[in-house]
Amino acid sequence: MRDDDIVNIDDIARELRRPAQVDRSFDERVMRHVLRLPRHARARLWSRLTAPRTITISPLGWGLAAASLMLFAALGVLHAKDDFHRAARPIAKALFPTSPKASPAQRVQFVLVAPDAKKVAVVGDFNGWDASHAAYQAQKRGGGVWSVTAPVPVGHHRYSFVVDDSLWVADPTAPRVVDTDYGLPNSAIVVEDNK
Amino acid sequence: MEASSDAAIVARVLRGNAEAYRELVERYRDQYARYALHMLGNREDAEEALQDAFTRAYRSLARCEDPERFGAWLFRILVNRCRTAGTRRGRRARTFVTDDAALLGASEEHPEDQAAWREEIDRALQQLRSEQREAFLLKYVEELGYDEMSRMTGVGVSALKMRVMRACERLRDLLSEVHSA
Repeated sequence: MRDDDIVNIDDIARELRRPAQVDRSFDERVMRHVLRLPRHARARLWSRLTAPRTITISPLGWGLAAASLMLFAALGVLHAKDDFHRAARPIAKALFPTSPKASPAQRVQFVLVAPDAKKVAVVGDFNGWDASHAAYQAQKRGGGVWSVTAPVPVGHHRYSFVVDDSLWVADPTAPRVVDTDYGLPNSAIVVEDNK
Repeated sequence: MEASSDAAIVARVLRGNAEAYRELVERYRDQYARYALHMLGNREDAEEALQDAFTRAYRSLARCEDPERFGAWLFRILVNRCRTAGTRRGRRARTFVTDDAALLGASEEHPEDQAAWREEIDRALQQLRSEQREAFLLKYVEELGYDEMSRMTGVGVSALKMRVMRACERLRDLLSEVHSA
């Protein structure tokens, strides 16, 4: 409590340290949300990704991987020719602008090499970080390459890949930004209005 | 039976046992509800921010680098959710009393009553600028060190010390006014 004339900060702090109690239904509300989200399975995935193993790739596999890399390199060169500065941008960049006058979004290709993955999705501030969003599910292209081309609004965005509904992977080819919520890196992308 | 460590529970959740997350919710909800309530000034916004923090933490659990310190990681998320909620609320409307006369009037009714004193403290706390309130709560109520506060908020130690000092001055002024009325 207080003295007659002095307000003591430690007394105030002691009063404020009394525990607060939330509504009785709070736990259930949180768990309802949580149980609707994809389940984690990182341990299994991580052990698969990190376990030492011998990789054997058939000549066909090598061919597909090489063709994929050449395709992405060629697309990158074509795009960089239009704008030199974009040559330094990540592989996830505006490639095929749709009619910018009609829509403020651009088609952006996201690419991740994840040979052991069974599912890869793109999440970001442009899709509410929703790993189940249909438009952002990557397809396996061969050689362990996953890609998806999806609309992203013009502007600065943060994004990440979600592998097998559990493992968050920053784009290894893109600049990283610190996530203000979690203090961990996301990838950054700038989508320009190609008027 | 000995309670599981945070790291053990996190490991169970990451292996696919989502229901195990309930133990973490039960472990941290009351402690962190206190911070959210003091920061946001009303139960509804506080529970919303806390629920949001728990949900975001679950979604990003694979990115928790030190599961043994899950609580500290969750708290960092909550601090940021409270900042966001406070900004949103600030744009919408101030829900707490900002009128000094109302503050004084509230104290006159039951000047010696513990509940009334507590109410005066809550009102005074909500009179602080949000960054001062945040710094004061982290330092004096959550009892964090300045280095940890700096890591958590991204604000320099000197600036944090200044915010805490200003918060203390303002609280003393506000509560002295109430007391002497």
